[in-house]
Amino acid sequence: MKQEVWKLRDIILMAIFGVVFAVIYLVIFDGGMALSTVLAPLGLSNYAFEVIYGVWFMASTLAAYIIRKPGVALITEVLASSIELLMGNSGGLTVVLTGAIQGAGAELVFLLFRYKKWNFLSMSLAGMLSALFIFCYELYYLSYYLLAPSVLIGQLAVRFVSAIVFSGILCKVLGDLLAKTGVLKSYAIGASLKQPEVYDD
Amino acid sequence: MRKLDPACKFIALLVPTFFLAAKPNALWNLAVFAVCFLLLFFSRVRLRLIVGIYAPVFLMAAAMFMTGYRFPSDSSSLPVNAASLNITSSAVYNGLLMGSRVLAYAAVGVLFALTTDRIHMVKSFRRHFRLPQSFAYGLLAAWGIFPHMAQEYRRARAALRMRGRKALPVSPAVLKPLLIKSVRWSEELAIAMESKGFSGAAKRTEYLPCRIRVPDLLLLLVGCVVLPVLILCL
Repeated sequence: MKQEVWKLRDIILMAIFGVVFAVIYLVIFDGGMALSTVLAPLGLSNYAFEVIYGVWFMASTLAAYIIRKPGVALITEVLASSIELLMGNSGGLTVVLTGAIQGAGAELVFLLFRYKKWNFLSMSLAGMLSALFIFCYELYYLSYYLLAPSVLIGQLAVRFVSAIVFSGILCKVLGDLLAKTGVLKSYAIGASLKQPEVYDD
Repeated sequence: MRKLDPACKFIALLVPTFFLAAKPNALWNLAVFAVCFLLLFFSRVRLRLIVGIYAPVFLMAAAMFMTGYRFPSDSSSLPVNAASLNITSSAVYNGLLMGSRVLAYAAVGVLFALTTDRIHMVKSFRRHFRLPQSFAYGLLAAWGIFPHMAQEYRRARAALRMRGRKALPVSPAVLKPLLIKSVRWSEELAIAMESKGFSGAAKRTEYLPCRIRVPDLLLLLVGCVVLPVLILCL
């Protein structure tokens, strides 16, 4: 009998991570909006959302770090963007497409590391390539090519920093913290950790 | 708009946005925004909800206008003659182009979101886009958890405040308990769903199958053929 690649448990975990980070994004969206309004007269409002852009890459990198299977980063990002579509995202209908593009960026990095390196470097690079992929798409879809190159370079730089902070540092810290609690014993990250001994009374 | 098939509506609304992106034109952007706004208005959506959703969109459009106005790439590279709107300044037209783009895309997205039933949408996507059923049901299960997740997040922050600890919205101290709950919920949900036969590749029957009707085909024709041709030609 052919073994299923994707267990329902994996799929639900990936989708729930999409929900978690959608909630986080909604919470910090108001802060981004306030900063955007302040920066609007200077024409620099785009930077406000670039600062928190890395949150969107967290679901895929964290899920990939925990499950460690080919395709997890891509599928998680698509599921997370589908959750965003269900939430009634006002940014447009292309959220699922942008999710696929972002996920492809992260997936490519993990593929280049042959799904064997799960550290700060690989996760940061995954976030950065997601940032680069989606930026290239926005050059066309949001007509960013009509903006001055200096503004675009600045935007991309801030997005890279955001990707490193959220996908590289925060996801690594969160993944390790979770693994230490023992709830991830049935996932690849949990299996790779030496589980602490449990002392019963 | 509410009675149309979600998958057809999704495609019919999505395709024109790519043509809007390919041929930047502020007039088209504003026209799409106006049509979507009217369709929303006549779809019996509460005005208060519309205003609440559009408020940040207008702010973002104004902010994007300022970005396009203050930092245009090069006036000679403007794809459309600014004179078409009786605007003599290319920087103003550049701003208008970028601001109106935000309005058009948002209007299309809001129209879809406020006139589509979420469960019906996933069922329609599963049927017409051949989405694997594990993914469709997994997505619906995760979506069902959304209100609990938001509540859990508030609870985690409140617990920290009670202890006199301040934490950033993305602090590991807040996220860790949230993620532990997520993992546990996902395992419990998966077990519950598997016990009810919601996994595997066995074919399932549907009580209310999503069918494509004539109005859906007409909408597809308008969205995928008529509008793109008009955008490219006019």
